[in-house]
Amino acid sequence: MIELSPEVVIPLLVWGTLVGLDLVSVPQAMISRPLVAGTVAGWLAGDVHTGVRVGVVFELFALDVLPVGAVRYPDYGPATVASVALGAGSYWQLSLGLSVALGLVLAMLGGWTLQLVRRSNARAIQSRAAALAAGESSAIRRLQYGGLLRDACRGFTLTLLGILLAIVLKENARLDEQTHLALTLVAIGSSLAAAANGAFRSSGRSARFKWLAAGAGAGVLLAVLA
Amino acid sequence: MLRLFAVQGTWNYERMLGVGMGYAAEPLLEDLKAVDPVRHGEAVARSAEFFNCNPNLAGLALGAVTRAEYEDIPGPQIARLRTALCSPLGAMGDELFWAGLVPALMGAALVGVVLGAGWWAIAGFILAYNGIRLWTSYWSLRLGMQSGMRVGSAIGASWLPRAIELIGPVAAFTIGAALPLVAAWFLTAFGWPAGIGAAGVAMAGIALTRWFAPFLTPVRFALAAMIFLVILRRVGV
Repeated sequence: MIELSPEVVIPLLVWGTLVGLDLVSVPQAMISRPLVAGTVAGWLAGDVHTGVRVGVVFELFALDVLPVGAVRYPDYGPATVASVALGAGSYWQLSLGLSVALGLVLAMLGGWTLQLVRRSNARAIQSRAAALAAGESSAIRRLQYGGLLRDACRGFTLTLLGILLAIVLKENARLDEQTHLALTLVAIGSSLAAAANGAFRSSGRSARFKWLAAGAGAGVLLAVLA
Repeated sequence: MLRLFAVQGTWNYERMLGVGMGYAAEPLLEDLKAVDPVRHGEAVARSAEFFNCNPNLAGLALGAVTRAEYEDIPGPQIARLRTALCSPLGAMGDELFWAGLVPALMGAALVGVVLGAGWWAIAGFILAYNGIRLWTSYWSLRLGMQSGMRVGSAIGASWLPRAIELIGPVAAFTIGAALPLVAAWFLTAFGWPAGIGAAGVAMAGIALTRWFAPFLTPVRFALAAMIFLVILRRVGV
């Protein structure tokens, strides 16, 4: 088990903040995708393999999300970082389930904090409505930087909370080996269900469904051969 | 163009991308200040009004509106252009990026990770996505600036509609290929009985989250299943 020392926690906090910002605000370079966020977090925590495993599970959950319009969705980025912090240094078969459970709670919390930031942005805009109507560029700049700062604080707080919970769970989680294994299997099964649901919804009954089926056939073949 | 990457920096339910568009428009409208300061003030105010579309195609609207401001098109006409662009740029961008490019590349990255490509698969995903996105942002801003009020027909004649048709099947194929590979990658470590159990959870998850949607999301299903499992273990099942 890897100790969550300041040398590990501080880079994870910085990474979690960047990942939180990337989801919506800036730069949307897809570092907030769980596969990317988890792998880098694993590297920072000294356990890339756990980072990749956790990242893949959350990526499957994230594939169910279509972030269109004003839709509300979980924020998997900082959640993945905290999950990796919990699971790093342990056998993934035993730690993945509990790590994913922590991450899913944080992801839901992250989705809720996104609403808070959006409402806070709206209040800031209302308070500067006169300056905006007068065409003051400085008001736009201040609002923009304020919005980015609020989102950065959101990502930082979420990651910090997640890492604190990870430290508490590392010390106090008292589950037997069989329960840990079963939790991991539930996490894997649920994530596959999420990704399959997303794929079915996107495909519908159009020609795209045939491509999905063809891809699944190719995947099964590769899985058998690999 | 770099400011377009922060176009959602002040996202909110009232003006949505509005203020972010105003922030991106600021340097483009700078020359108008010297020519016509009154018009510049009006243009800045308009640039931060309500706007919503996919952020990766926002450059089309930004460029078109900026050109219209320089061409002295009446304000209400520019406001109508902005409103008219919201839905098509939202729908096309979402189809191209969120339902197409991201799952297509992510499916390929997952296949790569499972087959042992590791960091290369992840780096390939990041480079490919950002390369395409960077080029699209440049292209969209330039096309918007060139087209002005005629941006609608320019979009229709561009590569966008064809690309949307092509990317959907690619995304479906790569995600379809990734799912069995990822399942095998995880479950071979546990053996057949555990694999059948996980498959059962997946089947139940697919069925229940479809029947009880939108209340029962996949995240809620997973957490409920985990809590149920821990309770069962505690009572000794």
